[in-house]
Amino acid sequence: MSDEQFRAEIRGWLHEALTGPFAEAVGTGGEGREHEAHELRREWERHLGRAGWIGLGWPTEYGGRPATLAQQVIYHEEYARAGAPGRLGHMSEQLLGPTLLAFGTPEQKARFLPGITSGEDIWCQGYSEPDAGSDLAGVRTRAERRGDSYVVTGQKVWTSLAHLADWCFVLCRTDPGSTRHAGLSYLLVPMHQPGVTVRPITQLTGTSEFNEVFFDGAVAAVEHRVGAEGEGWKVAMGTLGFERGVSTLGQQIGFRRRLDAVIARARENGAWQEPALRDRLVEAYIGLEVMRHSAVRLLASAGEGLSGLEASISKLQWATWNRSLGELAVDVEGAGALLTGPGYELDDAQTHFLFSRANTIYGGSNEIQRNIIAERLLGLPR
Amino acid sequence: MTEASADPRPVAEALRPEAAEEVAQVRASVVEVLDEQADLRRTHELMVGAQGHDPRLHELLTAELGLLGLVVPEHLGGLGLDVSAATAVIEELGARLVPGALATSLTAILAARALGPSAEPLLARVVDEQLTLASALAEDGAGWDLEQTVTRATGAGDEWALTGTKTLVAGVEAARVVLVTARDTCGGLGVYAVDVAAGGVDVRTHMTLDQTRRLSTVHLRQAAATRVDAPGGEGARVLLDHVRAMLALESAAAARACLDRTVGYLKVREQFGRPIGSFQALKHRCADLAVAVAGARATADHLVATLRTGAATRSHDAALAKLVCTDTLMTVAAEAIQLHGGIGFTFEHDAHLFFKRGKSAQLLAGSPAAVRAEVAALAGL
Repeated sequence: MSDEQFRAEIRGWLHEALTGPFAEAVGTGGEGREHEAHELRREWERHLGRAGWIGLGWPTEYGGRPATLAQQVIYHEEYARAGAPGRLGHMSEQLLGPTLLAFGTPEQKARFLPGITSGEDIWCQGYSEPDAGSDLAGVRTRAERRGDSYVVTGQKVWTSLAHLADWCFVLCRTDPGSTRHAGLSYLLVPMHQPGVTVRPITQLTGTSEFNEVFFDGAVAAVEHRVGAEGEGWKVAMGTLGFERGVSTLGQQIGFRRRLDAVIARARENGAWQEPALRDRLVEAYIGLEVMRHSAVRLLASAGEGLSGLEASISKLQWATWNRSLGELAVDVEGAGALLTGPGYELDDAQTHFLFSRANTIYGGSNEIQRNIIAERLLGLPR
Repeated sequence: MTEASADPRPVAEALRPEAAEEVAQVRASVVEVLDEQADLRRTHELMVGAQGHDPRLHELLTAELGLLGLVVPEHLGGLGLDVSAATAVIEELGARLVPGALATSLTAILAARALGPSAEPLLARVVDEQLTLASALAEDGAGWDLEQTVTRATGAGDEWALTGTKTLVAGVEAARVVLVTARDTCGGLGVYAVDVAAGGVDVRTHMTLDQTRRLSTVHLRQAAATRVDAPGGEGARVLLDHVRAMLALESAAAARACLDRTVGYLKVREQFGRPIGSFQALKHRCADLAVAVAGARATADHLVATLRTGAATRSHDAALAKLVCTDTLMTVAAEAIQLHGGIGFTFEHDAHLFFKRGKSAQLLAGSPAAVRAEVAALAGL
């Protein structure tokens, strides 16, 4: 199938779905909006899965669909262009799926990948802890082996969508005496069981997509450990590479829509006539062009996968850019941006302004990305 | 905003690997010569000398390596290689801040090639006579604003005479033919080729802040000229876009080279008993520079793809890459001086060469403010 045919197919399918049964889901979800339309978006995941739009480029035996890298980019572009809902299955598809494909046993792939490609299972990521944010080697959640199971005890934090998830991929310490990167294991833990408590955290946006997750004697099967016991660090780093690697061209389309909206608003309310604001808007346009060309270059050179290094450059670029655009969005509004709806209901500019502060913290903070670039790309000493 | 810049097609285009082998060969052979003959010690010597460049190196690269004919079509006597063969050479020259007229020549050749059949006689001459070229666009008071061009072209057909003054012309001191933008009696803007040795041409070369790049004023008094572009076309714009492309490509490569040198220094320079490159404050600044360099590289690569495919976004992409790449070089070079400390402030050190080259690249062919305004206009903002 040619790229053009592929584009026409996904575009047509999205159009049909989003003007039909899922019309109400358009524009819901995504960053700062994860509280919206859970039931409908859950059904949307299944609808996507039934049509074969989850797991592009994955083996067909696990429900995947053959697709070239260019086609995967096209898929993400069209998805963003159509204003399709924010994916509840984002972490399932973009993080856990690639991790299992890279590190999972054949049994694990057969057990878990079909649940992802069908849109049935929602996963969350159990990495960060109160004392181990970007420094994952400080993970203290324990998993004790008892026969065919691990018993998990500890606390995770900043766990996106944990309140909706069916499963959690958890980095925990299986060797009690170990420190730092050693002695960690990567376990797949069911969320619907005794011993798992989820407590939503109210963010500065007033909404909750992050949670605290408490494991108190929760059980994970030994056969659901990904990678060898004590080698969880390697697996987790692989996942982070995927996380930083997904920010490619589909995301650019979303950014473009946001920028266009801010510019349109500036024209409408006269802010465009302010030279200082106009200059910042033009700067934002130029920054987005630079990111777009960088992403194309990255994909062109990446072949089948992105290296963590390239992904670090991309993460630093887009997180910083998006945060600036958030500030610009409210500056363009002017003092009118100070009024919210009832119940602290935020409009797009306000949500963007507030939520984008998270961009430079999650998934490895800007500071972590700079260390990675300095040490691993430039070879500067530790 | 332009639909073109949101067009998904260039993505698929860029994801398709090209036959890049010939380009890599050209690059390798140029690198071999430049590594041997054009290190920055040599630049230090040349830039304070009378000529400001190395005629022997120019001879080696043109007569022996045949670089002038690189992208000239085969039926005109050239090698007919892809645009990116010439842009690769411009990058390698830029990375080493090589003074001289090769980059300006290749730029004019690329522009002529983009002008189509009307420029074929000139391109044939380039190969036959091994012509070194320069491009003269700016005028006093008008800068690079094409609309304000007042240099006059009188005549018709093959016989034209130009009168006017062009300023800030790079590489003309070593050139045999200069491409000049001028307005005919009907007000149309065109590109004309003038032999520097012909009567009525007076070239005054100035000392320059950026000593690696001499700049000249070219006075034309009824100077004999031939028209290079097709009347009614956008030849002057094509020429300007290519000059900007040269500055972008040079600057992206120089920024990378400057960062590499600086990082190399931070790894070996010790203070407080540690290599200073281990200090997080410096590492983070270098990381930000690396991100900027990667971004500049990406806009430059995109521009090369645009020139190769003849995409309609040429003016937009050239202006944007020029802006981003020259700003990046300026930032990297300024940081390079600071990160080298006192030694970075000496004349002996190389850091100031990148710094001054950065400023000349920023201000030639339109200042950052002027080019930013142009980008905005071209993007429909």
